[in-house]
Amino acid sequence: MTLIKVDKLSKTYKKGDNLIYALRNINFDISEGEYVSIVGKSGSGKSTLLNLLGGMDTKAEGGIYYNGKNLLQMNEKELSFHRKFTVGMIFQSFNLIESRTAIDNVKLPLIFSNYPVMLRQTRACELLYNMGLYNRALHYPSELSGGEAQRVAIARALANKPKVILADEPTGNLDTATSAEIISLLEMFNKKHKITVIMVTHDKETANRVSDKTILLSDGEIIKTTYKEKQ
Amino acid sequence: MKISDIIVLAWDNLRRNIFRTILTTTGVAVGIGSLSSMISLGKGVSINISKQMENNDIFTGLTVSSRNIDFDGLGNKTVLFNGEKEVVPLTENTIEEILSYPEVATAFAEESKPAMISIFDKKISTNIKAIPVNMKDFYPFNKINYGSFYTLDNEPSVILSKNVLGKMGIAIEEENTNLTDLQDKTIIKADSIIGKNIEIITKVFDLDKIDLITSKQKQLPVKNDTTILKIKGIVHSSAFSAGIFSDGIFLPPATCNYIPSIDLRNVYDIINDQQGKYGKYTSVHVRVKDFSQLKTVKQRIEEKGFNVFSIGDKLEDFEKIFFLLDTVLAAIGTIALLISIFGIVNTLIMAIYERRKEIGIMKSLGATSRQIKFIFYFEAAIIGLIGGIVGVSGGKLLSQFSSRVANSQLGNFIDSNIEYFSYSWKIVFLSILFSVAICIIASIYPADKASKIDPLNALRRE
Repeated sequence: MTLIKVDKLSKTYKKGDNLIYALRNINFDISEGEYVSIVGKSGSGKSTLLNLLGGMDTKAEGGIYYNGKNLLQMNEKELSFHRKFTVGMIFQSFNLIESRTAIDNVKLPLIFSNYPVMLRQTRACELLYNMGLYNRALHYPSELSGGEAQRVAIARALANKPKVILADEPTGNLDTATSAEIISLLEMFNKKHKITVIMVTHDKETANRVSDKTILLSDGEIIKTTYKEKQ
Repeated sequence: MKISDIIVLAWDNLRRNIFRTILTTTGVAVGIGSLSSMISLGKGVSINISKQMENNDIFTGLTVSSRNIDFDGLGNKTVLFNGEKEVVPLTENTIEEILSYPEVATAFAEESKPAMISIFDKKISTNIKAIPVNMKDFYPFNKINYGSFYTLDNEPSVILSKNVLGKMGIAIEEENTNLTDLQDKTIIKADSIIGKNIEIITKVFDLDKIDLITSKQKQLPVKNDTTILKIKGIVHSSAFSAGIFSDGIFLPPATCNYIPSIDLRNVYDIINDQQGKYGKYTSVHVRVKDFSQLKTVKQRIEEKGFNVFSIGDKLEDFEKIFFLLDTVLAAIGTIALLISIFGIVNTLIMAIYERRKEIGIMKSLGATSRQIKFIFYFEAAIIGLIGGIVGVSGGKLLSQFSSRVANSQLGNFIDSNIEYFSYSWKIVFLSILFSVAICIIASIYPADKASKIDPLNALRRE
């Protein structure tokens, strides 16, 4: 069942008198529970596409349809709802709030979603426990390793039980072993909890290995879509 | 997002930069403290001093006279002037009529005689003044400092004014007496004065000295007459008291009449061939029941053809001065508050730059612009609330200290503990409310700026 439909999506920006296409006529569908990787070189438009999917940016032409509703035409309230409940975002640089402990970072989306106050602590503990970080709950991001910080970010992204995880180069700042751990975590949530994962990465090999569908972008255009062979 | 969540987030943000928060809050506290102190000082001065004046006699007392006294001409020594007006004599009937006015509390003839008084081998020239017994209920005699007021209109007793004692070089020993201020005075306990005899020496005609044969008078035909009375009490009227009670000695009317003395006023009238024209009395002191009735009574007496003088007339001028004082003081306080507002704006704008990424993260997690704005509003409101409470409390403490200092310095002059600052609950509540409101207003621009942060840009910059 199609969850996301990207239809004739284009994004331009001006550089002097020239109109530059960051994305040009992008079309694809993503089904529920699918693991999709977007790969390409730097500047190919991967992160721009992910930000549009996450509702962080809405200045584009065409359409991004979530359950039939165009994200690009949503008002601020609808976009806020989308970021709270539909998608969970993971960033390369983790983007944890340095002044808040791991558990407080995980609780933050629960605050914005009006999650019952009494249950927030339990929910955050549960998420950290699942990430193997229960003993790091009261640590600040500066006291965590890169892998731990990214796992806290994943826990935070999952707090409001989103349908889609949007991961922007989640292993970009991590060593090989830790990267593998993070990828397995994402795989686990995808397979076990049927969460749709859209991951932007440089690493074509990993993308091909874990993804149901790999979209190759170059200069803002899809040049190739690879589907994983069904075993 | 619940309000409690916004408060917690705002509080967390403020706690994170605790030093800066303390400095900003201190700025607000100083501003609100100054503003509330200035307003309460203005109110205190106007309310308490007016009340003090009303409670005394200066604004409830009138002086009625037959003569038109040109007070503006005092400096030019043109004091007594009848003008073109027909003179209405001041008699006992006049006093009775004034007493019949429902607004009048009491009225009595202002009678005084020049005399020399002597106690503890010290002498001084002063006036002895007849004050009826019923004045025991009115200021300053309802607040006799030592001893008591006389109870009979013919009692052989006197009440001394503290000023007269001071002029004689006698000071009463009190608990808070500052001995350095009284170096040149004889310090005596009040108990040792009350009940003591006082000699009142007046001048009377000495018929033996009148040379009817040669008609060559070498000296005035007068001699001293000494009356001995008992000191019943000591009174000290404040600076807000009418002139007749501020100096001299006071005694019952019958006792005053008993003391022989040459009535120099009558001599003056004889010279001017005016005997009997002004009536029995020079002037009458009238007390109205309430300050608000002063004008009505004054008008009624003036309609009878008398001249009436009252400081109360000048209260409107005082009120204008108080209003001006309030305005000036509030302006000074507002300047202090404005400076602290700049502090809040600065703190919040700094916070935006520091928390740019954080705001971006919050928006990526679903926070709306409105929620971001409210976090900033609440941060400002918390600063305003704490600053307001601390400022008003500090201002109150400082004002109490200032009042104490002012009273200790001016106490002898004013003779009462005036609360110069009026910190009513209304001022306290409104100051704190104003503090919160002004802080929220100061946060509008920074909050708006914060709410407009593009999450994409904020996260990309890092």
